[in-house]
Amino acid sequence: MSLLPAPLEPIRPALLTRTSPASRLAVAICWLFAALVASSPLVPALLVAVGSIAIALGSGLPLSRIPGRLAPLIVAALGLGVLALIAHPSGADRGVAAIAIIGPVRLTEPALGAALALVLRLGLVAVTTLLVFAVSDATQLADALAQQLRMPDRVTYGTLAALRLAPLLAADWAATGAARRLRGLDGTTPWSLLAGVPGRLLVLLVSAIRRAERVALAMDARGFDTGGPRTRYRPARFAALDLLLLVAGLAAAAAALLAGAALGA
Amino acid sequence: MLGPSGSGKSTLARALAGLMPHTLPGRWEGSLRLDRLEVAETATGRLAEVTGICFQDPEGQLVMSRVEDEVAFGLENRAWSRPRMLRRVPEALAEVGLGGFERRDTARISGGEQQRLAIADVLAPLPGLLVFDEPTAQLDPVGTEAVFERLERLARRRERTIVIVEHRVDAVLPIADRVLILDGEGRQVGFGRPDEVGQAHAETLDRIGGWVPSAWRGWLRTPVDDGPARTEHSRGEQLVACEDLWFSYPRDATDPRPPVLREVGFRLREGERVALVGSNGSGKSTLLLLVAGLLKQSRGRIVLAGGRDPRRLSRRELPHAIGLCFQDPELGFVAPTVREEVAAGLSRSAPGLQAGQVDDALRRFGLEGLAEESPFRLSIGEQRRLSICAATIRQPRLLLLDEPTFGLDRLGSDAVIELLDVHRSSGGAQLLATHDPRLVSRCDRVIALHAGAVRSDGPAAAFLADPPLRPQAPWRLASGSGRVPDLAPVAGR
Repeated sequence: MSLLPAPLEPIRPALLTRTSPASRLAVAICWLFAALVASSPLVPALLVAVGSIAIALGSGLPLSRIPGRLAPLIVAALGLGVLALIAHPSGADRGVAAIAIIGPVRLTEPALGAALALVLRLGLVAVTTLLVFAVSDATQLADALAQQLRMPDRVTYGTLAALRLAPLLAADWAATGAARRLRGLDGTTPWSLLAGVPGRLLVLLVSAIRRAERVALAMDARGFDTGGPRTRYRPARFAALDLLLLVAGLAAAAAALLAGAALGA
Repeated sequence: MLGPSGSGKSTLARALAGLMPHTLPGRWEGSLRLDRLEVAETATGRLAEVTGICFQDPEGQLVMSRVEDEVAFGLENRAWSRPRMLRRVPEALAEVGLGGFERRDTARISGGEQQRLAIADVLAPLPGLLVFDEPTAQLDPVGTEAVFERLERLARRRERTIVIVEHRVDAVLPIADRVLILDGEGRQVGFGRPDEVGQAHAETLDRIGGWVPSAWRGWLRTPVDDGPARTEHSRGEQLVACEDLWFSYPRDATDPRPPVLREVGFRLREGERVALVGSNGSGKSTLLLLVAGLLKQSRGRIVLAGGRDPRRLSRRELPHAIGLCFQDPELGFVAPTVREEVAAGLSRSAPGLQAGQVDDALRRFGLEGLAEESPFRLSIGEQRRLSICAATIRQPRLLLLDEPTFGLDRLGSDAVIELLDVHRSSGGAQLLATHDPRLVSRCDRVIALHAGAVRSDGPAAAFLADPPLRPQAPWRLASGSGRVPDLAPVAGR
């Protein structure tokens, strides 16, 4: 019985999908590092801008769906930003001029800068996450992790197999809820639903273990990870496009850092 | 391989696939040689080159997201060279009729296609032995027919040894050179040419609860009465009326899926058992959830006895009005022991019900010895009985069941049908989604769904005589055999 929502849309071919997830991961790490070491909010701002343009032009992602997918991250970033704004130590320092006073809260310029930097850094996390994970399908990512970054096959392809189970478990979860309602255990208010969660989690755990065992057995039956050599059906290779991506990504980080150093002060 | 549930067919199948004793440990005695290799002394990697197994759960045995990767997975593990893989993958896909499926997503093809993909997986590395453990148990009639067609072709080519555990005995018997019968304790009853084994052991197979091929019926001392049950047409109170029912998943612009149900209308009276049939995805389960008030229709009306809307029933009223049993009984369990499972929620919604009545119910369902067991530790037959017991303890007049005989052997299946008979004879009505022709033959009426719409609604005997659904053949097997998939959990039962 499936109470599943619509499936996610498949990857569409675009410029960035032809690059290796491994090189995109390298650029992402480099950008996050640059944003971390720079004090100026200009650095993450520029990188968010560059990343957004790259996503808009080269990712093939349906842009209208992105805000919805990132909603939890956006809410968290804005929440933390507001917290940083009102809880900044300069707010209590009478020597620092206030831009605005809302009740007991004094908003200062350093606080605004800190909050902006925080929100922009989290924004950069979102953008780089999209660049690395949303642009590749899971298979491409697993290939790159196993072959280019030399992660163990058991981890990468095991995770890939586990990912296939996620929608099945979502359906199982819905079924456990339906079962409780039909036995008169849960009502329909959120509060009455809460009581059943531990029991439902147990059922879900049992079902997850059964499914995982079945996949593991199927993998073993097909000779997975027996210690012998393993060949690759689709070798993950770095292409010229990857070199271009790495150079462009590094250049963007360097430019952002320079601009931050020049103007940030 | 024939035999009842718990006869060890799946265990033997796994041993033949080289999974024991290395991958699935246990006490191992005797000798099993595959291609002159003593299994217990051979590395699993080497065994994977000579034998392969296809399991019953189509979705659960696939590893990769892309069809071609899925076939290549086993070849990569055996270190095939890339050019050889590039040649073999499309070849193996073509052998199971999936040519052109290379780039498809393994989660977005039908169950029958997934199962044929699993067959391509075992075929690709060209092992000498192919083992099939209930390959069609979870498929609808369309998928079943396609899989059997491929099995027949494989068998006819006689290039490889094929071992099949299969509950559709009439479909496999014609392609079998040898038959092995195991009894409920895992002992070998007989092995040899089908007619010899049939003549000598048909009676035993029937007694231990296995499905007997119809070709062997002549050797039975007491003929099996498996014809459609005679139905006295019910004129009782109307318990369900559905009118112009439509259902679509909440959609957005990028979701082109058609409605799951369209213009569905039917009535159900007390004392009626109605089968809901149709391929996977034809909307059977969705319809059950709608009638139970667990989903909201996009259009149309569902009226229960007394003019009630199932979605308006309070949590106290719902379990008294409707019982629902899931295809996988485990998903419906809510309590740590069998007794508590049956008693769950009773103190709130039926304080009048005494503990003695719970014990009574356990006895009637043959579960009294298991009262303190965890529901998860029961056999599939026991779980199914428990699920029906818990759903009927409050005597709801309407019982909804999703594949209630799925995973059961003949004895288990008979036990369920008997329990359903008791509920019906006390005025209950049952709506059940099923692919099981034997269960359909025990229904009063059949509603056939096709692509979300009612294709036909009429007496079961008329449906079985001339099924309005393609393929027709699986339904016509009704008088020969039902389904006895041995659900055979991987571990933990």
